[in-house]
Amino acid sequence: MDDHLSPLWTHLTSAGRRTGTWRSALPVWENAPSPCLVACPVEGRIAEWIGQLRAGDLRGAWETLCDNNPFPAVAGRICHHPCEGACNRNELDETVGICALERFVGDAALAEGWAFAPPAQERDLSVAVVGGGPAGLSAAYQLRRRGFRVVLYERSHALGGLMHHAIPPYRLERAVLEAEIARILALGVEVRLNAEVADAAALADLRGRHDALFLAAGAGLPRRLPGLDHDAPWVMESAAFLAAPPELQAERAGAHVVVVGGGSAAMDVARTLRRLGRAVTVLALESDGQLPAQPVELAQAREEGVRFETGARLVRVAPGQEGLELECERVTFTPGDRPGSFRADPVPGSAFRLRADTIIPAIGQEADLDRWGTMLGARGGVIAAGPGGRTRAEGIHAGGDIASHDRFVTAAIGMGKRAAQAIAAELGAAPAEALTAAPEPVGFDRINTAHHERLARQRAAELPVPERLSGFALVQQALGVDAARDEARRCFSCGTCIFCDNCHFYCPDMAVARLAGSYEVNTDYCKGCGLCVAECPTGAVHMREEKTP
Amino acid sequence: MNAPAKHEADRLHEMQLLSGNHAVAWGVCLAAPDVAPVYPITPQTPILEKLIAFQAEGAFQAELVTPESEHSAMAACIAAAAAGARVFTATSSQGLMLMHELLHYAAGARMPIVMFNVNRTPAAPWGFWPDQIDSLSQRDTGWVQLYSESPQDSLDTVIQAFRVAEAAELPVMVSHDAFYVSHAVEPVHLPQPEAVRSFLPRTARSFTLDPARGQSLGAPIGQVDWNRTRRDLERAMGGVEALVNEAGALWGNITGRTGGALDLYRTDGAELVFVTMGSMAGTAREAVDRLRADGVAAGLLRVRLFRPLPAEALRAALAGVDCAIVLDRNHAPGTGGVLHQELRAALFDAVSPPRLHGCLAGVGGVNVPVERLTALARDLAGARPAPNPLWLE
Repeated sequence: MDDHLSPLWTHLTSAGRRTGTWRSALPVWENAPSPCLVACPVEGRIAEWIGQLRAGDLRGAWETLCDNNPFPAVAGRICHHPCEGACNRNELDETVGICALERFVGDAALAEGWAFAPPAQERDLSVAVVGGGPAGLSAAYQLRRRGFRVVLYERSHALGGLMHHAIPPYRLERAVLEAEIARILALGVEVRLNAEVADAAALADLRGRHDALFLAAGAGLPRRLPGLDHDAPWVMESAAFLAAPPELQAERAGAHVVVVGGGSAAMDVARTLRRLGRAVTVLALESDGQLPAQPVELAQAREEGVRFETGARLVRVAPGQEGLELECERVTFTPGDRPGSFRADPVPGSAFRLRADTIIPAIGQEADLDRWGTMLGARGGVIAAGPGGRTRAEGIHAGGDIASHDRFVTAAIGMGKRAAQAIAAELGAAPAEALTAAPEPVGFDRINTAHHERLARQRAAELPVPERLSGFALVQQALGVDAARDEARRCFSCGTCIFCDNCHFYCPDMAVARLAGSYEVNTDYCKGCGLCVAECPTGAVHMREEKTP
Repeated sequence: MNAPAKHEADRLHEMQLLSGNHAVAWGVCLAAPDVAPVYPITPQTPILEKLIAFQAEGAFQAELVTPESEHSAMAACIAAAAAGARVFTATSSQGLMLMHELLHYAAGARMPIVMFNVNRTPAAPWGFWPDQIDSLSQRDTGWVQLYSESPQDSLDTVIQAFRVAEAAELPVMVSHDAFYVSHAVEPVHLPQPEAVRSFLPRTARSFTLDPARGQSLGAPIGQVDWNRTRRDLERAMGGVEALVNEAGALWGNITGRTGGALDLYRTDGAELVFVTMGSMAGTAREAVDRLRADGVAAGLLRVRLFRPLPAEALRAALAGVDCAIVLDRNHAPGTGGVLHQELRAALFDAVSPPRLHGCLAGVGGVNVPVERLTALARDLAGARPAPNPLWLE
C-alpha cells in the first residue's frame, strides 16, 4: 500500500517541525481569584464550591464552603452578599444567585447531619476567645480545627451574638443558627456562658492564663440620638427591643411606633413591629437611594406596610394629649469619607410633625472603648487592629464589631478566620498564611461566553405578605434541587479550571496534554498563539511572556 | 418521524417546469451527497433554498453546513471530502473568488468535490448579470470546468459531474449563466432515482482520512514530491475528457440525452462555425438555423468541457471549417475573450486552421439578439480576423 502512496498522503508528521521555536509567550494554567472571591468577606472559594455543587458533589461543596465559614446555612440567609454585586455574569445577564446556593448547600448539610472532621493533631496550646458572636465562633472554629484548645467566654446566656440577640427569626430561624453553632461546639470548644470580662485588668489576666486571646466582644453601646431623652419611658433601644421576647416587645411598643434609622437594625425593628400589628414609620436621615439597609430588606419592609420618612430628622419630642408629638425637619444628607461620618443640612421651612406612642432609635452601636481602648489602642471609634486583628497588646487580637465599622455578620466571620490564622502562625503551630493584598480578580473580558449557556436566573419564592405578618415565619424560601442545579450551571467559574479540555482540543499544534487534574504544554510545539487562552471559558489560562535567554 | 404523505420529491420522473437553479437542486438531491456546505449569494441562493426545502421534507439527507463565508464553506468541503464524504457546494461570483485560495487546495488534495457556480459579473461596479469571467478566472486552480446551456443541461451535468469527480479524484465545477439560465423556467425531465443511484455508485476512494490508518494529508513535502503531485494531477486531468464523454454516453443510454466534452450542432459540412459556451449557445443555435435556411453552411460548436480543454477534439471539430467565430461572454482585460485565447492556442499547430474571429459578445449580460449573430456571420464570413477582439452589443 505504501508503495502506491501518493505524496499527498504521507506517514509524515509535523513532529520534526519544532514550532515551539517561534514562541514568545507560553500559556500558564493558573487558577486566579474570581471577582466574587475578592468581594467575599470570608474569601470563600465560590467558583470552586459551585463547581462541586454543579458536579453533584454536595459534600465537597459544603467542605469547601466551611474552609472559610462554618455558617453556610446562616450566611445563605442573611449575608449581604457583595459577591453577587461583583459577579461577572452581571455583564451578560444577571448575577449568579450565590447566596441562595450557599443556603442550599448549608441546609443540605444540616439535613444530612454532617459534622466537621476532628483536628488532625491536638496541640497543647490554649486560646481564649472573648465573645460568642460570629467573629468569636468563627475564630473558635478555625483554631479548634487547627488543634488548639479553645475557651469561649460569652457574657450573655446564649451564643450567637447578634445572630441570636438581634436578627429576627423571619430572617434566620433559631433552629438553623443553633444547629450550626452546635456543630462548631462539637469540635470540642469549652464554653463559659454569662462570663463577662469586666475590664482591662480582667482581660490581661485572661490573656495571662492562655497562650493567646481573641477579643470579639462586639459593639454593645447604643449610639444616642441628639434631641431624644433615651431614659424616657416611651423610648426603647433597638438592641434591647430585638433581644426581648415577643411578649415583652408587645408590651413595650405602643400602637404607633417611630423607628429612627435606615440600616438593617432599623428594618429588623420595624418589620418585627409590623408582625406585632403595630403601625410603623421609619425616620431616616438618608434619602431613599442612600438608605444603608439592603435593597431586599427595604423592599420587603415596604411590602409589609412600613411607612418611610426619609431625608428627615427628629428635632424634639413633646408629649401631647394623644401620645407623642415628634417635631421633624427635612435634611440634605451627605455621606462623609469615613464610615459612619456624614453631614445633614436642614432644609429651611421643612418642619413637619409625626405622631407616635413609642420611639425606637436604631442608629447604630458603639464599641466600649472606655473598657479596652487604653489597653489595646483605638482608632476611629473602634479597637485599632492590624492584619489578622493584631492589637498593640502582645498576644491579643481583636475582630468583629469591636474592631471594625464593617458591621456585617460575614465580615465578622472573616475577621475571626483571619485572626485565627494569624494566631496559629504566631504560636508557631501553622505556617504563616499569606496575608497579601488581594490579587487582581479575573475580569469579564477573560470569560469566553460562547462556551456558556444562556440560562435565566433561578429565584426562590418569598412568603406572601399576609402570611409574613401573621407570625415570624421565614420570608425567603429555599431553592429547589432542580433550581439549584440550574443556578449552579450559570456560574462562569471565573479563574477556576473546569477541565473542559477546550485548551487541549483547540490547540492547533496539539501541544496541550491533559494529565490527571492538570494540563501540560509541550514546549517543543507550543508556538504561543494563545488560542487556548481565547477559548478558555473561565479565564484559568493566561499567557506569560518569555524572555529570550 | 412521519414523512409527508406525498411530498415534492415523490413526483420524480415527471416533467416539471423548473428554473435552472431548481433543476440543479433536483439533480443534487438525486445525487445524494453526504455533506453540503453552502453559503448563500445572489443568484445562487435558490439552489440552497431548494435543498433546504428538500431536507425539510426528508428527501435530502445531506449534512447541510452553513458556515460564515464561502471560504469556510470550501474549507468544510475539503475536510468532508478528505474524510470520504460525497460533497456538494454552490456559489457565484464574489463567493467563488473568495474561495480562490482553497480551490487550489481542493484540487491539489484531489478532493472530488462538485460545485455549482452561477456565472455573475464580479464587482466593481456592483452587478448581478450573466458573465463567465468569475469561473474562467479560476481556470488554473486545477478544477474540472463544465458549462451548461439550459436548466435541463444543468440537471444532467451536475449529476454527471459527481461521476467524473469521483472517477478522476478531481473537483468539478459546473457553471450556468445568471438569470438567463439560473432563473429562467423551462420544462425539465427528472430522472428516476434508481437510475441516478446506479449511475453514481459509491466507489472506494484511494485514500481518506482515517484515524485507524495514521496517514496524513497534505503534510509539507520536498520539492521533488511536490513536483510529482503536479504530474499526478496532470495525468488525472488527461483522463477527464474521456470520463466526461463516457458519462455523457451512459447518461444518454439512461435518459436519451447525450452530452460530451463538445456539443456539435449542424457542423457537418459547415463552412462557418460559432464557438461558444453557456446560454449564448441557445442564441447561436437559432442563428445557425436561420443562416442554414438562407443557404449559409453554418454550425455551432458548444464547448461544454472547458477544463481540461479538449484541444484535440476542438481541432477535429473545426478541421475544414473556413471561418470560426468565438462568442465570449467574458472579458479578460488585455487579452480579450478567454475562449478565444484558448482556441487560438489549441488551433495554432492545426494543419489548416479556420480564420478565427474573437467577439466579446454579451459581456456584463447585455442582450445579443439572433439578428446580431446572423449579421455578424455575413460580415465576418470572408473577412480577415482583426488583431483585437470585436465588442458586440
